[in-house]
Amino acid sequence: MIQIRGLSKSFVGQDGSVVHALRDVDLDIDENEFLTILGPSGCGKTTLLKAVAGLIPWNDGDILIDGSAVRGPGPERSMVFQNFALLPWATVLDNVGFGLRMRGIGRAERDERARALIEMVGLSGFETKRPGELSGGMQQRVGIARALAVEPRVLLMDEPFGAVDEQTRRLLQEELLSIWERRRMTVVFITHSMEEAVLLGDRVVLMSARPGQIAEIVPVPLPRPRSSDVGAIERSSDYVEVTAYLWDRLRDMHTEHRPSKVAG
Amino acid sequence: MTATAGPRPARRPGLARRVLDANLPYQLLAFAVFAGVWEVYAREWGGLLIPSFTETVEATAELLGSAELWRAMWVSNQALVLGFGIAVLAGVPAGILLGRFRLAERLADVYLNILLVTPMAAIIPLLVMSVGFGLASRVILVTIFSIVMIVVNSRTGVRQVDPALIEMARSFGASERQVWTRVLLPGALPAIMTGIRLGLGRAVTGMVIVELLMVSTALGGLILEYRGLFKAPLLYGTIVIILAEALLLISAARWCERKLTRWAGSA
Repeated sequence: MIQIRGLSKSFVGQDGSVVHALRDVDLDIDENEFLTILGPSGCGKTTLLKAVAGLIPWNDGDILIDGSAVRGPGPERSMVFQNFALLPWATVLDNVGFGLRMRGIGRAERDERARALIEMVGLSGFETKRPGELSGGMQQRVGIARALAVEPRVLLMDEPFGAVDEQTRRLLQEELLSIWERRRMTVVFITHSMEEAVLLGDRVVLMSARPGQIAEIVPVPLPRPRSSDVGAIERSSDYVEVTAYLWDRLRDMHTEHRPSKVAG
Repeated sequence: MTATAGPRPARRPGLARRVLDANLPYQLLAFAVFAGVWEVYAREWGGLLIPSFTETVEATAELLGSAELWRAMWVSNQALVLGFGIAVLAGVPAGILLGRFRLAERLADVYLNILLVTPMAAIIPLLVMSVGFGLASRVILVTIFSIVMIVVNSRTGVRQVDPALIEMARSFGASERQVWTRVLLPGALPAIMTGIRLGLGRAVTGMVIVELLMVSTALGGLILEYRGLFKAPLLYGTIVIILAEALLLISAARWCERKLTRWAGSA
């Protein structure tokens, strides 16, 4: 469904040297696939996601969705942000309806659809609250509801659970799985947590830094649906094995980079 | 007091506690002390030039009943309303443009800094030379006094809108106009309202200064007249009334600010 071909993006750093945020990235994402992208900070994973979202330009290569080139944001994609990006002056209802409003959908239909999504993410009763009155976990539920409200075929998630505490993160992971199992769509999910990448993904794309490129694509042989018993998944040997493998690979990348850092 | 530690049921604070926690009693107390010190000082050492608190209150009441005061208020406030209105109508858009577009900022920065640091009274002779005495120059001065605060705060307001919100809006397909109306302007509103409130205070200052230094027709004229005639209570009364007007206007502005931007306090 999404094809990324030879994608490169570089920029000139503060010291005048050229930084390759992404170099020659090739990636195919299937329809209704849950793809997680894992990598150390600075590996360009967020850059890759923003390019797919159509929010930033790149230097070389193509991104195709159903065969047509990405030139900017589109109605088939929506995004969930790391720091929620909620409008602090707007109520939960208006925040969830924001994407619909941008698409010119009138108040009545907007509110109705927003209410349904608010219920789906478990925030009924909070419609008139403002983001400042909500916990981080609740704010990200609003962010997820807002992204789902526009009924995207591709959901782009940029470390969505990176800014919430561990317990909340686990709850949100389970709920995301459960939502996705009921309502299939293509998900591209950025994370720096190996456990999260394995628990959620059909495949884990492992990226390396400087230059940002794909190191390996690791299939996750865990059964679906997973939301019903996350604990059992986490105790299964496949889960343990894949997580351990990813950790080995990440540690290798780290040691590969250390000498060059000292020399530089 | 008994033990402060250990389990205690939560209770609504008693009446005494609530009175002590409110601001009003302290404000009243501070005012009473101020009035008392004033009264005693004026009676003991004041003489002709410093009226007592009670004399000032009487004079204020007398003034409020006189047509002369209201005529002066009317004339002075014309300059205030027009000058401040122009400052808001021109200053808010100007500040927003400066905050959003670097080129505009580069072009205007020097002039804004000049306006910020120049003592405004120094401009009066220039104004009189080019525009003459009269409403126009009074309006212009009030505008110059208040517009800087409005421009600077509006600029800050637009600039401090989280870029992540703009990116979010674009990701949902927002047009340039929608980014402005749904993200930038609402996000800048608290700072804009602060600028308007501060600008209003400066506008009142400008209104009085312009009359003291330039055309003594209205409130400024009253002040100079009472001073010349050694009518100290009436002089003080006039100043009290100007202060009261300023306080009233600024309270109203603060109230609007809170009404419009309640979210900013909790976020």
